[in-house]
Amino acid sequence: MKETMTRYERLDTAWNLQEADRVPVAPINCYIIPYLAGLTIREMFFEPEKLIKATVECLDICGDEVDPNITTLDHTSLLGKSGWDQATLDWRISEHFPPKGNIPSFYEKTIIDDYNDVLERGFATILFSKKICKDVFRRSIDDFLYYEFEYPYIYAKAWRKFVEEYEVPLLMGGRACHPLDLLQYYRGINQLTEDIFERPEKVKAISEMLIEYEANRAMKQAMIMGAGEVPGADIIFFVNGGPPGMPPRIFNEFFWPYAKKAVDVFVNRGFRVRCHWDNDLTPHLETIKEITRGLPKGKILLDLEKTDMKKAKEVLGDRVCILGNVPSTLLVYGTPEEVEKYCKKLIENCAEGGGFVLSTECETPWDSKRENVRAIIDAAIKYGQY
Amino acid sequence: MERLSMSILALDKEEVLKAVEEDLKAHRDPLDMIEEARRGLEKVGEDFEKGNFFLMELIRAAQIFKDAASLINPKIKEKYKESTTKGRVLIGTVSGDVHDLGKGIVASLLECAGFEVVDLGVDVPEQVFVEKIREHNPQVVGLSGLLTTSIPVMGNTVEAIEKAGLRDKVKVIAGGGVVGDIQPARIGVDHTSSNANEGLRVIEDWVKKRD
Repeated sequence: MKETMTRYERLDTAWNLQEADRVPVAPINCYIIPYLAGLTIREMFFEPEKLIKATVECLDICGDEVDPNITTLDHTSLLGKSGWDQATLDWRISEHFPPKGNIPSFYEKTIIDDYNDVLERGFATILFSKKICKDVFRRSIDDFLYYEFEYPYIYAKAWRKFVEEYEVPLLMGGRACHPLDLLQYYRGINQLTEDIFERPEKVKAISEMLIEYEANRAMKQAMIMGAGEVPGADIIFFVNGGPPGMPPRIFNEFFWPYAKKAVDVFVNRGFRVRCHWDNDLTPHLETIKEITRGLPKGKILLDLEKTDMKKAKEVLGDRVCILGNVPSTLLVYGTPEEVEKYCKKLIENCAEGGGFVLSTECETPWDSKRENVRAIIDAAIKYGQY
Repeated sequence: MERLSMSILALDKEEVLKAVEEDLKAHRDPLDMIEEARRGLEKVGEDFEKGNFFLMELIRAAQIFKDAASLINPKIKEKYKESTTKGRVLIGTVSGDVHDLGKGIVASLLECAGFEVVDLGVDVPEQVFVEKIREHNPQVVGLSGLLTTSIPVMGNTVEAIEKAGLRDKVKVIAGGGVVGDIQPARIGVDHTSSNANEGLRVIEDWVKKRD
């Protein structure tokens, strides 16, 4: 089975809804690579050369692109961050992976007490909230200046070198977060639910503010990473699909307008958008169909977690490239044979005519079996030939 | 269905609170009222399991129920001097996992259904589960976790409960985002689920059978 395209060409062809030489494959490997390579979490985030060396050691499970883990920039800068991780994750930077250490986990507590305060005084009220993990913010002014203005360039330079040497494109250059995602972390899902029903105008007002902030931050990141020059750095990774279990009315009124607004901004400014939208969005596919309205072809990829991929292909297949969704539990507890079987079915359901990338649901869990992740790549080679 | 339960089903908080106020003014039996409100919430749960309601609507219905219950419960205590519960459930997110949301939804539904819930919080060590089972003597223990890494920890927790000689005294249910994909026997629990309302139903069945 001879491959006639480069990895980048293969992915690019799928984005453009055409058949490549085979189905592209791209597990989202974030924590698993440093874990397998024996890095500490601290090294993963602060020493790009070590992370890249680890990625090289794990190229067998990377497929057609690699995750440059752009979250690093968010975690380590103080102002001007996306807010998503730094402000909302239990960020006890550790020398160890679990079970001895930890990986970031959601706080799920109310960080924003008062929408008005944020609307009047801006993002600083969130970024400097005393409720946010102290470890993140105990940094000197020198640290702040370094991580905000110098480190992103050091980081981007290291990844540019990697792409040139190994010819593996990046899966993103910058990252933006949907307002409802930010709000579910800042308020908690229970509180956000109450807000949507009882204070809908406040939720909308703050969503307007958040989406502007996020879009600008993401595009700046992508520019530093080399958008337009480094393959894949022009992609904005747009997370995360909003809180789970939104009824269509809520989705259409509180999620969709801001999602579409951000997608339009990115594409109109020359970027591509990879919508990494978790949860089961099957009930909303007809709305999502509108994502390409007014935009040129080949600019959007929908990366889906629990959504019915067969249905997604039926509804969206002629509009956007779709990506997903090998289950996390299968990667941790299954066998390579089970993974292969699942991937074969996904390829049968989604690959015809192009516009499909085989991948994990959300992210490859750090404790996945290496052979199971490899089985995804092998399945694309075995069953994904066009 | 009557006005109170219908209004809960319609997720109409204003109408629910109005109905409660009017019923209380009319000296309606508060036990009748709480049961009617519960029937409304149960119907939301049933519809959620059938796919007619979404998770956010289930959360909202439970919020409205709690608001109604906060007005009705003092009257029950006043009239009947003590409140009764269906049973006691000990619930917590297992060691190494700090996710609260799923556990919170289940705890809330259990409370609304009339259970006494002992919520141990998140990142709960195995031994704490053991100690708290001894202290509270629950009929059911709920182990929650979002991360794939929590699944073996749930198994370890059950082992600790077993070693302490308490396993046959409690039913154990495990729940969370991916937990429903795991066979119960694999981690030594009686049931696994990723669906909050299904979990509630299973617990209600267990407690009913014990009675």
